[in-house]
Amino acid sequence: MADYGQGGAPSAMSPEAEAQIKAWTYERSNDPRGYYERLRAKCPVDFETHQSAANGAGGITTAAVLSRADIEEVLRNTDIFSSEMPIMGSQEPVIPLGVDPPLHSMYRRVLDPLFSPKKMAVLQPKVADAVNEMIDSFIENGEVDFSEAIAVPLPCLMFLELLGLPGAELDEMVRWKDIMIRPEIVAGSAEAGMALQAQTAGEIYGRFGAEMEKRRNAPTDDLISYFMSATVEDGRNLTDSEILRILFLLLAAGLDTVTISLQAIFNYLATHPEAQQLIHDDPDQIDNVIEELLRWETPVQTLTRIAKVDTELSGCPIAAGTHMIAALPSGNVNEEYPETLTVDLTRGDKAHLSFGGGNHRCLGSHLARMELRTVLREWHKRIPFYSIKPGTDIEWVASTLRGIDYLPLVWTSEKG
Amino acid sequence: MKVTIDVDRCQGHGRCYEVAPDVFTDDDRGRGEVIKADVPVEFEAQVLLAVSACPEKAITVS
Repeated sequence: MADYGQGGAPSAMSPEAEAQIKAWTYERSNDPRGYYERLRAKCPVDFETHQSAANGAGGITTAAVLSRADIEEVLRNTDIFSSEMPIMGSQEPVIPLGVDPPLHSMYRRVLDPLFSPKKMAVLQPKVADAVNEMIDSFIENGEVDFSEAIAVPLPCLMFLELLGLPGAELDEMVRWKDIMIRPEIVAGSAEAGMALQAQTAGEIYGRFGAEMEKRRNAPTDDLISYFMSATVEDGRNLTDSEILRILFLLLAAGLDTVTISLQAIFNYLATHPEAQQLIHDDPDQIDNVIEELLRWETPVQTLTRIAKVDTELSGCPIAAGTHMIAALPSGNVNEEYPETLTVDLTRGDKAHLSFGGGNHRCLGSHLARMELRTVLREWHKRIPFYSIKPGTDIEWVASTLRGIDYLPLVWTSEKG
Repeated sequence: MKVTIDVDRCQGHGRCYEVAPDVFTDDDRGRGEVIKADVPVEFEAQVLLAVSACPEKAITVS
């Protein structure tokens, strides 16, 4: 999921190279649509982005894939483009993200039903209750940091609920996912980040291992117990190692992604009064609004694959071993399809790649949509009109996951 | 209008049964299933929305 920090050897990177990478990532986060438009004007496959500089230090070639058709090819053609690579400090491939077919298909047959729309509908009232409790705590104030009050804690609370862990572990969960997702920012440098990430990955495996031990003789009604009793196609149970690698991925991929989506969507709405009016007049448009803004903002910026053999894309030769960076914003907003260059909040029919595509389609997409829709519905029922606190400079996080750490919103409290 | 889903392409994004609930439904994995292969004329517009919304281009109409 996250290309940042993959491959390469940060210790081999000069301070100048690291600074340059930061500058590039910052430029992309501030203006991904403009950034990728400029890259596309040069070539449909770009070998010179910041990822190349990052990975180049480790002797790895990196190619940012910019055309919609090529992105789809990279995500779908698993015969040529592999997902098998180490990520986020985990020593072994995480499941199912870091596994290719046919093994991948076996895991998804077990996992897909747990995250289906029907299962998520059962969880939905708990999300609505949690959002309303959060809103209760600040609505009278007339202002709140949306990130701290809702965008960060909500997905973490629901994750604890799904796993059957106590809500009191929220702070620990937030710390873990921050270190997994953006170690370089938590630790202050790429090198320190890698070390912290590896150490934390060990902590997480230990913590989940202890939860499994508790459930071995006393199963509970949660995902951890389900994984422990699940059988895969040849009738065997998942091994402890497989279960841990699934849990690790749920933590690493399932929390910040919803957080940054909420931040991007609420930043857009807070700066577009006409969008708030649309939702006020016709709340049934919320699903369309979310789809269009997921496309426009593309919270998860890139997905990575490795070329297994020599191949080519748009006439550009790709050598085996090249890290392919599928630039999702470039697939979602692209002058090849002029209608994608503008926002139309009511259409909801523009196929977007914000949940990826191909057999690795985001396992949690139905959970994410349910959470996003529930937050928008409950928030707009109670706080229909709001804006960014005057004087705030909105700062996008310079990472593969493009969010806003501080998003202060203000409203007139008597509307509550 | 007739509609089919290519089950090898479908990855369970869930767009079809959300934008065209009268014609598609979801299976236990969240993948799309056609419930009205012969599309009644009043649902044709829905189906065209679903074709456009599907990120895998898995829906074919004829």
